Amino acid sequence: MAFSQPSLLPDYIEAIFFIMFFKGSPVIIRLQKVTKRYPPDNTVFSDIDLEIERGEFIFLTGPSGIGKTTMLRLLFCAERPTSGEIWIDGVALSSVSNSQIPYLRRKIGMIFQDFRLLSDHTVFDNVALSLEVTGLKREQSRDRVVKVLEGVGLAGKMRQYPFQLSGGEQQRVAIARAVVNRPAIVLADEPTGNLDQERTNEVMMLMEELNARGATVVFATHDDRLYKNTHRRIVKL
Amino acid sequence: MSLVIICRRTLSDLKQHLYTQLVTTVVVSLSILIFSFFTLIYFNLHQFVERFGTELGLVVFLTEKTPQEKIPVLYQRLTGLPGVERVTYISPEQAFKRLKDYLKDEKDVLEGIDPKFLPPSFEVKINRAIFHLKKLRLLAREIGHWPEVSRVQYGQTWIERLESFLRFYRILVLVSGVLLVFTAAFVVANTIKLTVYARQEELKVMRLVGATNSFIQGPFLFEAFIQGLLGSGLAIGIVFVCYRYLQGLTSGSELLRGIHVYFLPWPYILAIITISILFCVSGTAISMWRFLRQ
Ligand SMILES: Nc1ncnc2c1ncn2[C@@H]1O[C@H](COP(=O)(O)OP(=O)(O)O)[C@@H](O)[C@H]1O
Ligand SMILES: [Mg+2]
Repeated sequence: MAFSQPSLLPDYIEAIFFIMFFKGSPVIIRLQKVTKRYPPDNTVFSDIDLEIERGEFIFLTGPSGIGKTTMLRLLFCAERPTSGEIWIDGVALSSVSNSQIPYLRRKIGMIFQDFRLLSDHTVFDNVALSLEVTGLKREQSRDRVVKVLEGVGLAGKMRQYPFQLSGGEQQRVAIARAVVNRPAIVLADEPTGNLDQERTNEVMMLMEELNARGATVVFATHDDRLYKNTHRRIVKL
Repeated sequence: MSLVIICRRTLSDLKQHLYTQLVTTVVVSLSILIFSFFTLIYFNLHQFVERFGTELGLVVFLTEKTPQEKIPVLYQRLTGLPGVERVTYISPEQAFKRLKDYLKDEKDVLEGIDPKFLPPSFEVKINRAIFHLKKLRLLAREIGHWPEVSRVQYGQTWIERLESFLRFYRILVLVSGVLLVFTAAFVVANTIKLTVYARQEELKVMRLVGATNSFIQGPFLFEAFIQGLLGSGLAIGIVFVCYRYLQGLTSGSELLRGIHVYFLPWPYILAIITISILFCVSGTAISMWRFLRQ
């Protein structure tokens, strides 16, 4: 046993190192000189440096077409940057292979601008899909799905299909699906895009609540009324 | 990922896309049906030729001046040959008697003829289980080279005619098989592509919420497996029914009673089912891979 002792030490140190510099690191999203260019020469943005801390709530702003969706897609690995590097929770995205992307996505809840709900699945199934893809059984996920749908006020519409819902309700299904597996990061792409004032306030409350529970929220919007009086950090593209 | 989830998702998929699934299965089934029907006929003809050829056995005619004491030696040599089951010596007298029996009422034509005018011969029965037509031919040639032997006879001419027909038929089976495989491949690949296209949105969303490729592919591959199994099983089932019908025909008729109809042997059946499954599954995997690679 004596000779196995020295080999334990480096592991131990490595673990501490890991906890201190990665898990314990306050920075959960880091961008370094990130450039995205679509061929032939549509440079959406270039040399973006950004650090977002764990538990932060930031607004990603700018007029339509400036590249907010593109930025979120980069964080979500739906797209690769032309140059530069992105770290999510200490992991450099350039080192994430295509087959590893699903595992990264399970840490991130993405609320799509166009919802991306499945039209031939019920509200319940749409939300449950997020858990199902991780291999969770239906019985195991049922309670969590119901709880999340209650949270967004849609418990009564679980058995309905997306086309039977209003735009605001569909938006809330999309939010429920994004957060049902308790992701560390929530990326919201114009989640209040086509809602009236009252619904907008509801969605803002939901996002605040998620953030209060510990999720890091990146909220992309072109609507300056949403962040006019906020104490949150605002990142202008 | 658990098998239960795959099965449940496959079931709901099958329900939702019953029509395309059905089309694929029917196409697979029809192709295999046609192919295995041809194969069955080929197989039976082949069996028939083989059996008939060996059933006839060999007739070894000796030269007329073969001394009597050579007969037992030749008898021993013939019995010692591999695959020979039974050897019967037919003396010229016996041959003459047979001829007389055969001619019956017209035996007068043999009046005054020396009963020894026919050459002595051996009838050689071949063990069917271990013998092939090719070996029979070799054996006949070998015996033909013995100095005491004048001629060796077996059903040469009409066996050869049957065989050349079989050769032609085999080419027909192979060509039709290849054509059917291509047609089936084309139709199945396209139905799968249509299915994948029709569900592109769903697959995209699954990818977006963190589904691995194997999770997405699982039900598709399982469906393909079922299609391959069902399609080939159905086809072979239909061929089997036809076979039973033919069998009933041959055993019901006096004329055809001697003809035994064989069904495809087990290795053939297993090969057909396996190939069908492999074909459907790999076709699906390729179509999916094209989509998932993006
Ligand atoms: N797949 C793509 N191919 C080419 N150009 C694209 C693509 N996606 C987005 N763009 C371009 O990137 C720019 C930013 O788009 P987007 O990120 O959707 O802006 P926003 O979300 O801020 O409104 C636009 O000029 C758009 O034309
Ligand atoms: Mg956008």
